[in-house]
Order: sequence, then C-alpha cells, then structure tokens
Amino acid sequence: MLKTPLSRRNFMQRSTAFAAAMAAGAKFTTTAAHAAREKELNILCWEGYNSAQVLDPFRQSKGATVKAESLTNDPTMVNRLRAGETKIWDLINVNNPWARKIMAPEGLIKPLDRTAFEPYFDKMMPAFKAPYKWAMDEKGEQLIGMAQRFGPYCFVVNTDKVSRKTAEDQGWNLWNDPANEKKYGVLESDDWNVFNLCCIAGFDPFKVHTDDEVAKFTETAKRVFKGAKVVGDIATMNQSLVSGEIDFHMTGGTYSASPARADGAANIRGITPNSGPMEGGKGGIVWIEITSPVNNPELSPLATEFLHYVQDPKVAHTVAFAEGTFNPVAQMGNKACFELFSKEELDAIQWDSLEEEVARSVEYDIVPDYDKLLDIMTAAKKEASAG
Amino acid sequence: MAALHENGKILSQGACNALPVMIFMALGFAAPLLAVIAYSFMPPRSFGLTHTPTLANYADIFTSNSYISFGWSMLFAALTVCILAVICYPIAYGLACLFGRWSPILTLLFTIPLFVSENVRLYGWILFFIKNGVLLGTLKSWFGIEPESILFTPGVVLLGMVYVYLPFMLFPMTLGVSMVPNETREAARDLGASRFQVFREVDLPLSMPGIMIGLLLTFVLAVGAIAEAKVLGGQTIIPITHDIEIAFTYAQNWPLGAALAVLLMLVVGTLVMLVLKRFDLDAILGRR
Repeated sequence: MLKTPLSRRNFMQRSTAFAAAMAAGAKFTTTAAHAAREKELNILCWEGYNSAQVLDPFRQSKGATVKAESLTNDPTMVNRLRAGETKIWDLINVNNPWARKIMAPEGLIKPLDRTAFEPYFDKMMPAFKAPYKWAMDEKGEQLIGMAQRFGPYCFVVNTDKVSRKTAEDQGWNLWNDPANEKKYGVLESDDWNVFNLCCIAGFDPFKVHTDDEVAKFTETAKRVFKGAKVVGDIATMNQSLVSGEIDFHMTGGTYSASPARADGAANIRGITPNSGPMEGGKGGIVWIEITSPVNNPELSPLATEFLHYVQDPKVAHTVAFAEGTFNPVAQMGNKACFELFSKEELDAIQWDSLEEEVARSVEYDIVPDYDKLLDIMTAAKKEASAG
Repeated sequence: MAALHENGKILSQGACNALPVMIFMALGFAAPLLAVIAYSFMPPRSFGLTHTPTLANYADIFTSNSYISFGWSMLFAALTVCILAVICYPIAYGLACLFGRWSPILTLLFTIPLFVSENVRLYGWILFFIKNGVLLGTLKSWFGIEPESILFTPGVVLLGMVYVYLPFMLFPMTLGVSMVPNETREAARDLGASRFQVFREVDLPLSMPGIMIGLLLTFVLAVGAIAEAKVLGGQTIIPITHDIEIAFTYAQNWPLGAALAVLLMLVVGTLVMLVLKRFDLDAILGRR
C-alpha cells in the first residue's frame, strides 16, 4: 500500500522515478534520452521570452528545438508544475514571490550554480546586487533564479483627464471618490486586483486580514466593480484610455501603459501613489520576474545556457522590448545594455520616474488569505453584473 | 460477465471492427469528461484525484451567487437563438428558393468571416463602437453630435453573439428550407392556401429538421460563449464560462471549476434531451 495518497502530481513523479530506474538498467536508453534533451528546451513564461526575436538566435546557435508557452498570470503557471508538468518544462518565468515562497519550498524548481550566475547580478542595477533576496531561497543559501524584467504596477491615468500630480497625491482614493463612477476601468488581472482593492480599502494586502478588514474589502469590491465602466485586457484598457471611454484604470503601470506610450500616446502614464497603506506608508507595488530551472528529472542542459544567453546586453534589450509590452530590465545597470535603449524607448518605459516610483513601492508578495479575498472579489464582480 | 455472441465469440465481427474507434472515443472523449466529473467531487483547491470525494464544490455553487452567471449564460443564449431564428429564416428561404445563381456567392460571404479569428472580429467591433471610433467619430465629425457610447453594455454583447453565431443558425436552416419540395408549396397554393398558411403548414413543418439543428447548435455554442462578454461587454455581464475560467486560473480551484463545468453540461444536456425527446431527430432527418 502506498504511504502517501496517489495524486496526479506524485503519480507523475513516481512514473518518472520508475522510468528513471528502468532507464538505469539500460545504458543505451539513458544515453538516447539525454541526447534527445540536449537539443530541446521548453520554457513556461510571461510573454516576451516566447517571442521569435528572443528565441530564434538561440535556436540557430544551438540547433535546438525551443518551445515557449506564455501565460498571463503566475498562479496558472505554478499550477501547471503542481499538476505534474515538471517533466515537460525546463525553465519557468514568474513574479518574485512564487519562486522563493512557493515553488522552491514545494520542490518545483532547482537551484542554480551561484559561482556561475552571481557575477551577473553585479552588473545589474544597484538594487539587484548579489545575493539578491528574490533570487535566493528563503534561507538565503541557494540561488533559485535570475532576475530580469521588473516594474511598478498600480494604476494608469490619461494625464489629459487626471493630472499626474493629482493621481499621485490622491493615490488609491481615486476609487473612493463617487464622482469617478463609470470613469474608470479594471484590468482583468484578478490577483493584482485583490492587492489594489485592499489598498483602496485602506490596508496592507500582504498580511492576514482581520474580520473588519475583510468586511471593508467586501464593501470596496462591490463598489469598485459596480462603478467600473469596463473590465478588460491591456489592449482594451489602452484603447479605452486613448479614445476617452475611461479616464484611468487599475491594475496597471509601466508594463500595461508602455505599448500605448510607445505608440505616441505620452498622455497615458503609469502612476505610483506618493503614499499608501503598505509598510513604511508606501502606496505602490513593484514586480520582479525570476526565471528558474524547473525540477525536471531530465532537465535540458540548454536551460542554464538560455539563462546565460538572456544576460547578454543585446538580448536583455530585446527581452525588454519583446512581444508588445515594454519593461525595464535589471541589466540596464550595465552601461553596454543601457546604451542600446533609444530616447523613445526610455520614454515608453517611464525611465524618467522609474527610480522614484520603485522607491515608493513595496515588492510584490503573496497575500496570505488570497483565496478568501479572491472569492469575495469574484462574487462582487458577479453581483455588479446583475445590476 | 460478457455475453457470448451466437458464433461463440465474446464480441461480434462488427463490434471487433469497431473496437479501435470505441477505444479511441473512450480515451479521447469519455476519459476527459470522466476526469472533469471526478475532479468535481474532490475537496476545494486540491489537485489530486485520490482524496475522499465530497459534495463541497456543489454546495459552494448552490450557496454562492453562481446563479447570476448561469442566468446570464442561459438568457443570452436564449435571446441569441430567438433573434437568429427570426433573422436567419428569411435569409435561408432566400438562399434556398429565391436568390438563384447569387446564392453561392451570398453563402460564401456569410462563410468568409469564419476564416477570421473570433477575437479579431470582436476587436473590429470595438473599433466600430468605441468613443471617437468609426461610428461615433463619424457622427461627431459629420453631424457634430456626440451620443453616449454603447460599448461595454449588455446590448453590445448580444449583438456580438448574434453576429458570431449567425452562420451556425443560417446553414442548417438553409439546408432545412431546401429540403421542402417546391411542388408541395405549389400544391398548397393551388388548393387555396394563403402565403401565411403555406409558411405555417408547409414550409415550417417540413423545414423543421434544419431549424431544430440550427437552434440546438446555436444554443449549445452560445451558452458556452465567453469572448463576447469579455471583449465587447467589458465584463458588464459575467457568463458561467468566465466563472469556470477564473476557478481554473486565478483561484487555483480546479474542483470548483470542474463542478461548474459539470453543472453546465447537465443543464445544457437536459435542455437538449428535452428538445430531442419532443422532436424525433431520426424521423426529421429522414432516416426512418
């Protein structure tokens, strides 16, 4: 009898272990399997790393088959590994806390060689100096991934309708002003909307919440969704801002505003509030992507090679401007990389205010009672749709 | 115990020949459905299939406000079907009986949009309806009037659904109308029937196979629609498919998503069975 219940995930793990044991008895099988994976790399990522601009030069230089699947939220990507896909993927690219607080403790990712990869951090922007907290495991001993793209992410305004100063000063209270009803949109980024609703309700998202706070969250969620003109994707938000359908939207920031800005709409601007309810009175949240090797029993040797490849200044610049959303990269701390960015590109990613916006932000984290708050928010959204 | 066939074998020759297809169907069609059903009985937010079965997900659905999403999906599917039935019947009649050599060209025009991604077509409608877009921008520049935008309203969602599912109602209906022998209409007219009587007593009953297939096909597709509400409606209405998507993604609650999917299948399946019970599909398809 099995000591632990058989789940899809451990079934895959056991199947893999069984397959590995079988393979150990037949050397030629092992050799064939490794040979097969030497020319194959599978990446699960946010958009950008799956673009031809990034992947094609790597494919050509290695003569390898590189497949990359892009998803638009962290929980789904992590779910894929939890559901047994550790055997499929070689690299996973998610936002910072998921690597350190979820995937590493659950054994879904593997550590990297510190001596080989830490020197890259010294060429990054000063905040990323090794040992960089979010690239390390919770004990601070193992390097569990590489940092690259990052950006503040709160809300976006059309500065022709709401000035940058007003937006920064009012911060999350923009959503508490009844005069703004039907003037704003909500990005369909439900995990981030949980953070934002906490901020609008006036408390820190990244802690366990009291019953009073949960009640305030419920009331806020109902009100915010009832007052929203539109809930949609990034393209819809930018189009609605530019056309005048809405004046501002949450969630958003450099990542979501940059395509419109790159297209010449300089009046579309990601805003980080001057103050807010988070630790140290901060009002913004900044995300940092971490790319980690998956705990694949037959990890492709190309996984680490790809991580070296994307540190190249030219490739890092390509990653920053790949696949429709444009973002700062930690490698901009390296002069050779920074000089590749044109003035227009720097404007698109709001380089002028990046440093001060990051200083006003806390780092993206896991909400301890996320499940409860998400369920409340989903119910509130439905209730708003019922009129 | 398996029953022996008359020639002493466990399976007949026909069953043996059908076995590969049966296995393929079992693995490709039945197995995923069974997996979804099994997941719906697992504890909330679990990822395995070996936990103790529970009805917690179903209890959660019946105590939450999921009825709103079910209601929106059913209502919009029903409205879409009704509107399309009214719009498509005259077009189908024209394609089958009136337009002559123009019919293939018109049919092609109705088919061409199917070769373009649904999302692309819906975003096209956004450009048409959005403030300062094709419609409102033209009205503003030509006539100086600025009506309120109708984008992100339930009405536009319905328009999008009618637009997207039109071919799925039109083509079966056209086949149905073309099945009516013209001689029958002529005979009815010769016997003194009015145009309405010919429609009611000849065209409608004899074209019912196509109408029924169009209604069912459109309803089943429309009840599972999500893109129209997301893109054109800006989520002013939340269909049940959106709930299922959220459960499987942001909520990481596969069992809840599976339970919602099972309930949707049950509701739609029951409705389809009720309709099919009333209409004998074999008879209307002329198989007996």
